[in-house]
Amino acid sequence: MTSKVYVALRVKATPERAFAVFVDEIGAWWRPSPLFETTPRPGRLSFEFGAGPPGEGGRLIETRAGGKVFEIGKVMAWEPPDRLVFSWRQANFPLDLHTEVEVGFQAVGEETRVSVEHRGFDRVPAGAVRHGFPDPVLMMRLADFWRGQIDAIGQALG
Amino acid sequence: MADWRAPLMSAVCYLDPKAALTWLERAFGFEISMLIEDDAGNVAHSEMRFGNAVVMIGNEWTADHKSPRSIGGKNTQTVHIQITTDVDAHCERARAAGAEILAEPETQFYGDRTYRCRDPEGHMWTVAQTVEAVTREQAETTSGLKITGWM
Repeated sequence: MTSKVYVALRVKATPERAFAVFVDEIGAWWRPSPLFETTPRPGRLSFEFGAGPPGEGGRLIETRAGGKVFEIGKVMAWEPPDRLVFSWRQANFPLDLHTEVEVGFQAVGEETRVSVEHRGFDRVPAGAVRHGFPDPVLMMRLADFWRGQIDAIGQALG
Repeated sequence: MADWRAPLMSAVCYLDPKAALTWLERAFGFEISMLIEDDAGNVAHSEMRFGNAVVMIGNEWTADHKSPRSIGGKNTQTVHIQITTDVDAHCERARAAGAEILAEPETQFYGDRTYRCRDPEGHMWTVAQTVEAVTREQAETTSGLKITGWM
């Protein structure tokens, strides 16, 4: 088994639009957090796709001020407009540690319930990445972090 | 992030909080807004949203937190759901999900139509919809009660 942090909020948009804004505009709406920093100095996030299908070879990257690119994760499932899965590795993680993020878009009337499930974060070892937090506190902070991100998507959608 | 949650929240204890999350969505239309599970799959924390209100669904996390099922069905507090839509339809949805209806929908002297039900672990829930505009004087006359404070 693996730990899970799940959060969901409704946004005023169709799943198609919410999915598109999540992927295409992540650099604009993303809110960097000092608690869950992907790189030491925040850059701009984007999804990058190769010549093949987005689900094969797509990746989430962070381009830093000097132009250096850090790969946060690879796209593992690409099912627009319902679902997107990517791996998640912060620069301060051990090299072999990859966690997993699943984003869901479910139509509810005229709105969309955007959910994020982040799996495996409890495997992050003790040390700087955890800011000294034990599991329950770390998981609550991670939930708050993602709730903030969904809130940001909601605001980007107007 | 702006916290959208109303400042007063109930935290309700269940022996099986995961089953409760599923049941409360089916019966009352609550939506999971946060769920944290440890590496054994146990619910560490969860919140369900209804409008701008939140109810937290947890386990028996200390010796003094109990589900009614563990203490002979007794409740020491109940959660009230105030809705603006059809309370009779709400009751039928809850019944279909397996709620035990303790009091069928009935219009009360204060203008709300209410019902009361029990969930699978024994928590009682009351649900109401305002269906008539009643003044304080009318309510005092019909009930014989002295009423202080009136919406």
